[in-house]
Amino acid sequence: MASLATAAPAATTATTEKTSWTGRGVRLTLFYLLLLVIAAVFITPYLFSVFAAFKPLTAILSQSPARPPTASTFTWDNFKTIFTTYDFGRYLANTLIVTVILTAGQVTFSMMGAYAFARMEFPGRDSLFWMYLATLMVPNVVTMVPLYVMFAHAGVLNTYWAIFLPYVLGTPAAVFLMRQYFMTIPKEVMEAARLDGCSESRILWRIVVPISRPIIITATLLAFVFGWNNFLWPLIVTNSNHLNVLTVGMANFNSNFSIQWNLILAGSLVALIPMVILFAIFQKYIVRSVSLTGINR
Amino acid sequence: MTAAAAPTLVPKQGKTAVMPATADDRRRVRTAFGFLAPSLIGVVLFLVIPVIFVLVLSLTQWNLLTPIKWVGLSNYANIFRFDGFGHSLLVTAYYVLLNIPVQTVLALGLAMLLNSKRRGSALIRIICVLPYLATPVAMGIVWNWFFAPTTGIINQLLAHVGITGPAWLSNSATAMPVIAFANIWQYVGYNMLFFLAGLQGIPLALYEAASLDGASKIAQFRRVTLPLLRPAMMFVLVTSVIGSFQVFDTVYVMTNGGPGNATEVANLNIYNTAFTGFRIGEASAMSVVLFLIILLVTIAQFTYFNKRTTYEIA
Repeated sequence: MASLATAAPAATTATTEKTSWTGRGVRLTLFYLLLLVIAAVFITPYLFSVFAAFKPLTAILSQSPARPPTASTFTWDNFKTIFTTYDFGRYLANTLIVTVILTAGQVTFSMMGAYAFARMEFPGRDSLFWMYLATLMVPNVVTMVPLYVMFAHAGVLNTYWAIFLPYVLGTPAAVFLMRQYFMTIPKEVMEAARLDGCSESRILWRIVVPISRPIIITATLLAFVFGWNNFLWPLIVTNSNHLNVLTVGMANFNSNFSIQWNLILAGSLVALIPMVILFAIFQKYIVRSVSLTGINR
Repeated sequence: MTAAAAPTLVPKQGKTAVMPATADDRRRVRTAFGFLAPSLIGVVLFLVIPVIFVLVLSLTQWNLLTPIKWVGLSNYANIFRFDGFGHSLLVTAYYVLLNIPVQTVLALGLAMLLNSKRRGSALIRIICVLPYLATPVAMGIVWNWFFAPTTGIINQLLAHVGITGPAWLSNSATAMPVIAFANIWQYVGYNMLFFLAGLQGIPLALYEAASLDGASKIAQFRRVTLPLLRPAMMFVLVTSVIGSFQVFDTVYVMTNGGPGNATEVANLNIYNTAFTGFRIGEASAMSVVLFLIILLVTIAQFTYFNKRTTYEIA
């Protein structure tokens, strides 16, 4: 809480010019000390896991976790073991397949729906849009049991289909996100294209998609991260090892080898590192997704 | 979650009721429904129908193999009497209460600290958001290692200062706070972004005027910052409360409900009832009850925030 008072919005610096030199020095030191602590809190779990994943178990247990692997302790063995002796290669491939299909479908179909809602006229549009908005409020936990029963009857349990099907046809959240963006494109742009004899799908793919790149990238990222991290649904609908996605494979592995930190931490990194890379490349779009939720205008 | 913004987004009424007359118009309507079809099928099949179906299932006793049996509302009593669902709801409420206040205060504090033009703030802002993408299952495993009884980093650090740390995750007093910590760590930076966006919308002139009027820093925070952050506050609270009531991944890997059933949150109880016990009726009733609770809490939050004035910055 102390930070609230010292840091009060940047706005206040203008009014505090009168503070003495030493006071400013102390404040500045405190500020950067706090930043250092914050950075450490968020980075340490990643950093120590990376250190541990490249060390043998004996070194993990005997050394400080803050010590990076040295020439004598550094090893690729943990990763070799999880990919050759155990099935992490399979899990990774499954996650990639399922996530790519889920993302491609969700983004494409949501985009088409969003375009229809934003810039096409058809009977029942408003009521259908309200239905989409209402389903936005339905928590996953509510649909999980009935969906499982439906999938069991359709005979799709324990297939790749089961894992991505509920999300691949588009989600109300993605439709909503993109509709909001499409609404900002002037109607005249589409009307002019229609007069020139452009079909609606040509307008969508050749005009709307190129102007809407930022939102499409954001929607793609959100879908990809969701697919990558999804755990409960794949856990429910798959029960054979060869269909396990990373999260499920990892959780099973964790309950069987919970003390072999070298292996399970290496396994965790297989899931975590791609997300760190994704974040490094696209952090602008993730931050942007916040301003698109419409709370700050 | 976006219902807050909904009223401004509704398309103009009365425009679409007119039936299309010409062949051209009919073709356009067909195209529109063609565009809409995939997501509409998805929404109806995977959201609307399941919501209705779960209500029906909650009135049955069924293990998916033997014939389905109608039992009326008895599941709604039995889940509290025999399945410890009342306990699960309490555990869930405890988790929500551990999680939300700390997470919200920290997110706001971080936003105020990092809403600074000082060098380095921008970088730290980004670092705070990094965990938002982290796979919760993988992160849960990392925390298991951090909080391990003797080999864990936390207890090794404590040992340096002469404290014998508890077996964090197998101790019923500490297990839930550790799980809450894991989730706060993951989402605090993301929630900070909403407060940051809100803070950046507050005109500096308001603070200048307040300080000319002799308002202290604390008074400025209470009278200017907090009221103007209300929309951000509502969004953060509503979405994170809905998420917290459904917590599962971290609980599953970190304690799997233990020790005993000390951390058996509602979602885990539903999972166990449905997919290890195959008691579909009871699990459905639990889902319905949890849904109603989430709905009520969300409505209560909307009511609270709507009753209070929201200040528009012109």
